[in-house]
Amino acid sequence: MDLSTRRDSPLMRLILDPVNILLMILLGVLFYLVLWPFLELVLHTITWGDGDRRLSRDAVPGEYTWFHWLQVTASPLSERMLYAPLVNTMITGVISTVIALIVGGGLAWCVIRSDMPGKGWLQPILTLPYIVPSFAIALAWETVFRSPKVGGQPGLYETVLGVAPPEWLSYGTFPISITLAMHYFPFAYLLVAGALATIDSQMEEGALLSGASRMMILRRITFPVVAPAFAAAFVLTFGKTIGQFALPFLLGAPTQFHTIATMVYANLALGLDSMAYVLAILLILMSLLAIWASNKFVGNNARRFETISGKGFRSRQVALGGWRWPIFWSVAMFGFVVGILPLILLGYQSLMLIDGFFNLSNLTMHFWTGQSDPEIAMGEPGVLHNANILGATWNTIELAFFSAVIASLIGLIIAYIVVRKDGNPLAKMLDQIAFIPFLFPTIAFGAMYLTMFAEPRGPIPALYGTFTLLVLISVVNRLPYSVKTGVTAVTQIGRELEEAAEVAGASWGRRFRKIIVPLASSGVVTGMMVSFVGVMRELSLIILLITPSTRVLMTVGFNYAEEGLTQLSNALVLIVAMLTIAGELILWWAGKSKLVRLREKHS
Amino acid sequence: MASIEIENLTKRYGAMTALDNVSLKIESGEFLVLLGPSGCGKTTLLRCLAGLETPDEGEIYMDGELVFSSKLNRIVPPGKRNLGMVFQSYALWPHMTVRDNVKFGLDVLNLSESDSKNRLDQVLKDLGMSDLQNRYPSELSGGQQQRVALARLLATKPPVFLMDEPLSNLDARLRMDMRVELKKFQASTGSTTVYVTHDQTEAMTMSTRVVVMRGGQIQQVSPPSQLYKRPENTFVADFIGMPRINLIQVNQSDGKNRLYSNGDIDIDIGWDEAPSSIVVGARPEDLKIWKKKLEHSPICEVSSVLPNGPETIIQLTKGKTILLARIGHEIDVHEGEKVTVQFDQKALNVYDAKSGVLLGPPIDADRTN
Repeated sequence: MDLSTRRDSPLMRLILDPVNILLMILLGVLFYLVLWPFLELVLHTITWGDGDRRLSRDAVPGEYTWFHWLQVTASPLSERMLYAPLVNTMITGVISTVIALIVGGGLAWCVIRSDMPGKGWLQPILTLPYIVPSFAIALAWETVFRSPKVGGQPGLYETVLGVAPPEWLSYGTFPISITLAMHYFPFAYLLVAGALATIDSQMEEGALLSGASRMMILRRITFPVVAPAFAAAFVLTFGKTIGQFALPFLLGAPTQFHTIATMVYANLALGLDSMAYVLAILLILMSLLAIWASNKFVGNNARRFETISGKGFRSRQVALGGWRWPIFWSVAMFGFVVGILPLILLGYQSLMLIDGFFNLSNLTMHFWTGQSDPEIAMGEPGVLHNANILGATWNTIELAFFSAVIASLIGLIIAYIVVRKDGNPLAKMLDQIAFIPFLFPTIAFGAMYLTMFAEPRGPIPALYGTFTLLVLISVVNRLPYSVKTGVTAVTQIGRELEEAAEVAGASWGRRFRKIIVPLASSGVVTGMMVSFVGVMRELSLIILLITPSTRVLMTVGFNYAEEGLTQLSNALVLIVAMLTIAGELILWWAGKSKLVRLREKHS
Repeated sequence: MASIEIENLTKRYGAMTALDNVSLKIESGEFLVLLGPSGCGKTTLLRCLAGLETPDEGEIYMDGELVFSSKLNRIVPPGKRNLGMVFQSYALWPHMTVRDNVKFGLDVLNLSESDSKNRLDQVLKDLGMSDLQNRYPSELSGGQQQRVALARLLATKPPVFLMDEPLSNLDARLRMDMRVELKKFQASTGSTTVYVTHDQTEAMTMSTRVVVMRGGQIQQVSPPSQLYKRPENTFVADFIGMPRINLIQVNQSDGKNRLYSNGDIDIDIGWDEAPSSIVVGARPEDLKIWKKKLEHSPICEVSSVLPNGPETIIQLTKGKTILLARIGHEIDVHEGEKVTVQFDQKALNVYDAKSGVLLGPPIDADRTN
């Protein structure tokens, strides 16, 4: 058999097919970056570590043990380590989710189904709290309700009213629940709005004709139809709140109020790695349970509640009548308070020479433009002269850029394999593994990479402390989203477009470059921008992996907040908030002027 | 330019057999149409020829060269098979201009800049697309898009053209024009063409030979006129022709070999030896209508009259038997009228009722007439 015949044999073609090669490589890489770290994390919790000798005399480094699990779940420490934080996590999670859902659902109805005025510009304002880092809302809350009982300067509340706010208003369950709700209601809003937009108003008109009142229609028709979306939104929002780290840490830690997520961080800070990892695993299990419940509920009911029939679909808006303007003003006020006021407060506070004194003579540009002054803020220079901050800004942009580009490209390749090798079990597996990072609460994910890359392992050096590790975890964390974006984009590209190039003799690489990438680009670039913004405001994912040389704006801001340098941390968070808002504005603008040409004739 | 030989080709998708042991020889320069209802395997066969599908068994030769063999483990990839293809959706790349769409294939061939330019200009001119070459596909009408797809095919001058229902997205009038044009280009290049369609008019008007497929098997391979006059089995007879052929199942009457009947209609096929049960196929135009009585001819009631310009289709009923007849518009019949129906014996086809296979015309024309 001559060489060309051998190259044309089916087996060799299967092996040499670039798509199959990529499939195998990606499977290997994702296995190593997604599944293996989880196994490492689990193994770490059931093995005696070197540092465990100070905890127990029985410790034999390297041997298996249930010690850490027992310490966490059934020891005198458990109450403070696990059960109290667990209760706190559940309570703040449930309260904030319920509020977020009621507020988000109500707003969604006003925007999608009613004739409320000013929707066009209210909508972006209402999504602001979700766009800015959750941490910004916590800082803004502190600015108002900080209590000197805990230390530090008084907040706006005390300055105005003359009395210190009660502690429950400053720290613990109440502020954490409220600020979490403030951060997540736009998320619930988007989920419910999506469901509401699919309701055919003929269903409601039918009820109207039979003489039902507006309230009755809402209660008996509209709400039951969106119920599954509500349920899914509840579980997803709850799943997100329990993984939140920075916000509960800022508003809880001063009074020893902990959630599971903050406990992971606190334990790591104390050097109790294995305990922290046990808690991280518990957090992952909670998240898995939530996602599973959401899938179960929506999966079972999806068909029954299918609302788009494809025929005669109409969406008529409900007239609010005399309530039109009152509702508008309420929504606008609300949007201002949750979306814009926190940013104004942060900005104002970053201009105060002495924190907590709200009169004009106290205003200074020092924290933005000042040089180092040993009298102020332990000699930290203002933002524009602070090498620490400028380095962090550069790192942030670099990290967000590389992560977004790499995640989008890999996401597109995975999406291509998943769509084109539909039915191939390995491709399906690749799809599923790429989705798994979605299930990991970000702080737990960070903990995994900490165990995984703290020491060199085989050919892979100890990546802890490197910029590469930050890019790696950010890319893997963004994969579930970028694959989804990629799948949407690739599905729109008809198979024949590629076959036409194949018949013309174009190699796979050429087809991917010349046909797939240009056609998928509009969707993928949008996804890239979303990732860019997402990575930029990420804190809990990387907080455990950051070292001084790899600092980013969010972690520097967090450190300043921990050290009580409120003005600087506010300034930093404000910068991140502005960057993310700018990113969202670009996205919004790009979405409006999208090339229509590429959207047509794809099939 | 290139002949194609297909030997014992089989393609399965799970439990479904899309191609079942198909063998076919396509002559060089031929315009061969693959015709059949949807799901018959015609597109699968075309895609196997293109190399876009990998058959499970069999061999394919193109221009004498083995491009696929299950036994020798040989698969030549699509780009190396020297062929061009027009897809049903045209598959024009929406992000490239008309010119870039056509140029893509030339780029892959690594032609010199001037060669490539000359060929591009020529083919765009031939198709009357020169003025539109900088437009994007979405800025073109359906017919213009079709021309771009054709230009893309012609630019690389492949010896084999594969076309997958290329006209099905056009409106009826445009389709007529494009048929003529396609045929013209095929004739001028002399390329061997394999053309898939489910439209029998298209198949009849354009092809040198038609392959009728069903359930992954070839039912008949004939020139179009033969296909219409002598369908080789009841499936082909029923599939070809609009309005459809009259298939009348009749059984041998007691004792008499030559006379068959279904209770309503008696037919004498004039054979000495034939199976006891047969199906007689009569095209609607092979039924003659008389207002007078004729011997040995059944009298039917006109149950429906459907005038259609130059011709009129009438439905005739006798007992449980329903027949369709195509008559000239000059004959005036009314619903409820009784008429005599006469079969054109020479045009009839007789099939075995069990197997559906053609036995022959009732009276061998050469022998008796």
